[in-house]
Amino acid sequence: MRNLFNFLLRYSSWVVFAFYVVVSFVLLFTRNPYQRHVYLTSAGDVASTVYEGASTVTSYFHLRDINDDLQQRLATLEGELLAAQAQIDEMALQIHADTMTTVEALQPYRFIIARVINNSITRDHNYITINRGRADGLRPEMGVVNQNGVVGVVDVAGERYARVISLLNPDFRLSCRLRADDGVFGSLVWDGKSPYEAVLEELPRHTVWEVGDTVVTSGYSAMFPAGIPVGTVTGTSRDNDDNFFKLRVKLLTEFDHLSTVRVIANNMADSIKAVEGADQ
Amino acid sequence: MAKTILRFALMYVVLMLAQAVLFNRICLFGYAVPLVFVYFIASLPVTLSVNWVLTLGFLSGLTVDIFSDTPGVNALACTLLAGSRGTLIRLYVPREEDFTNPEPSVKSMGPGNYAKYLLTVSIVYCTLFFLIDAFTFFNPLRLVIRIVASTALTFTVMLAINSLTTRNEKRL
Repeated sequence: MRNLFNFLLRYSSWVVFAFYVVVSFVLLFTRNPYQRHVYLTSAGDVASTVYEGASTVTSYFHLRDINDDLQQRLATLEGELLAAQAQIDEMALQIHADTMTTVEALQPYRFIIARVINNSITRDHNYITINRGRADGLRPEMGVVNQNGVVGVVDVAGERYARVISLLNPDFRLSCRLRADDGVFGSLVWDGKSPYEAVLEELPRHTVWEVGDTVVTSGYSAMFPAGIPVGTVTGTSRDNDDNFFKLRVKLLTEFDHLSTVRVIANNMADSIKAVEGADQ
Repeated sequence: MAKTILRFALMYVVLMLAQAVLFNRICLFGYAVPLVFVYFIASLPVTLSVNWVLTLGFLSGLTVDIFSDTPGVNALACTLLAGSRGTLIRLYVPREEDFTNPEPSVKSMGPGNYAKYLLTVSIVYCTLFFLIDAFTFFNPLRLVIRIVASTALTFTVMLAINSLTTRNEKRL
């Protein structure tokens, strides 16, 4: 026993070293983000307070660009509103009022506005921290968008802050389709090369596409409604295999200056999940 | 003694905040990331026991990991750097008695040796960090460019910090 004690004492720095290395490896290989403790992420209390403080300064930097984006988006929405109004007027003539469903039933989605307090685009696995959490109704696996398109998905929700897996993270795959062709859909994943580009994979070989085609969400998951813009096609990717092919996509969201984002709370998500998990 | 502890505690807080709020957001030309907080590990006194250096190294790595959502990457790289720090110092100053002051600095090591020491720390740390980070995601050319560019930037910023924090006559 005394020999063992002497041994440990003599080589104590090796023991300490081995201990820290093991702890680091445990952290490194616990890859499932949903199991990780909130305090070890940027959604923890200390980290999020620091980022909140820093963000009150830096959030002013890109106001001009964001304003331009918003104006653009506003113009598009106004156009769509006018078109929709015209359609509603037309339908109202055709259908009796008592057969029409309520507006609420048509819109299972609700938006929670949040501010980005920390964001990275330079790492291999990028995350975003936002200043809304469980207290505001956020839950893991809620989709996040901004005025231009898809941003990511909530993965850790703290009490007042949440961490979002950015689209610039190879752990996140998004089911997408080409707006021009309703039938084909693939999955969009980031290949780590550039913060402005991602790859749309698993497309069937017969897909017809053109440079500039818009890529939108497919709506095949409860996170995002169908038809949210994601990016535009810039070309085909070189490493195609025999059965599927890949397109390079320029992302519409400018990840280098995110400021305000909207979290999509799907009121139907729980019922969809219940149905999907029914036979398991 | 208490003054030294207080000084290093302050340095720890300032460097961690600077890394989280400022340096983590810098990425020159899409490759160079300044990993400046290792200046803390590089500056710890040589008389400090290895166990303390390892513990402080691991903790600073863990702190940066929490801020930048890279679980374990910095913690592991910092532990390895802290473990090899003694060897790195002895590369340039073979005998501990040659130190006029226990903290590695321009004054205690001489300007040339100190600059070489900081450069070696940058090279070792950037290499470790990007190698560990690349475990899941391997692209050799990008990896090499990132290591070289980040080493250069980290070294430059550490020199800047050094010249800002030390008095005139001791500067590099």
